Amino acid sequence: MRAHNEIIKLMHKYLDGDLLKEEEVTLRNHLENCEECQSHFHELKRTLTLIQSAENIKAPSNFTENVMKNLPSENKGFKYKR
Amino acid sequence: MEQFIREKIKQVKKGDQAAYSEVVNVYQHKIYQHCYRMLGNKHEAEDMAQEAFIRAYVNIDSFDERKKFSTWLYRIATNVTIDRIRKRKPDYYLDAEVKGTDGLDMYSQLSTDDPLPNEEVESLELQRYIHSEISKLPPKYRSIIILRYLEEFSLQEISSILDIPLGTVKTRIHRGREALRKRLRHV
Repeated sequence: MRAHNEIIKLMHKYLDGDLLKEEEVTLRNHLENCEECQSHFHELKRTLTLIQSAENIKAPSNFTENVMKNLPSENKGFKYKR
Repeated sequence: MEQFIREKIKQVKKGDQAAYSEVVNVYQHKIYQHCYRMLGNKHEAEDMAQEAFIRAYVNIDSFDERKKFSTWLYRIATNVTIDRIRKRKPDYYLDAEVKGTDGLDMYSQLSTDDPLPNEEVESLELQRYIHSEISKLPPKYRSIIILRYLEEFSLQEISSILDIPLGTVKTRIHRGREALRKRLRHV
């Protein structure tokens, strides 16, 4: 049986879509026989589901206006460029 | 959209400041949200998102028009927020990073015998808790986790945004996922 650390590396390759065919077989065979790795894998996938449920927030309503007010003045820029 | 932004950037480069307001309009929510996720509070998020747009404006001549503007803007926003995090009082941030409790503090306040029903995943309280756990990651992992899983960039795009090699992105996302797994396994 492979070391857990190596199997965990395969889990991350899987999550990044980088897992090779033979690695997929290794990972699957190991998971079938190792509860510890099974729950590690489950926790990883669940973590990603959880963080993807984070709230969506919007910028305050006067955001653009405030940015525009704080830009260096236009005239200076124009003169400088000419 | 890309074409619209390209046009606006050209106008801004020629000195038309008003054209920039349309650029800000398009990206304000994404950049504000990115700053909020990096910093974990609304006040700082607003300041730093503004700072990012102002820096982009001031440095617009150094923007290479063959590249994507949004990638460049996200890079500025990420750098601005990481600078801000570094300038915070040391205890503010080190505390969160070093004394990671694997979420046990919060967890111990919840009734352990009662698994949370599924709908609760959507609850605001849980979302905030998850957010606060993301905020405790060291910034270099946090930025990648946020860009990948909340803002849905590919690893390749993240490598361009942060200007670091793809292999480094992969190492950091691996560590970031493990750190979060430890923090969120009890939820």
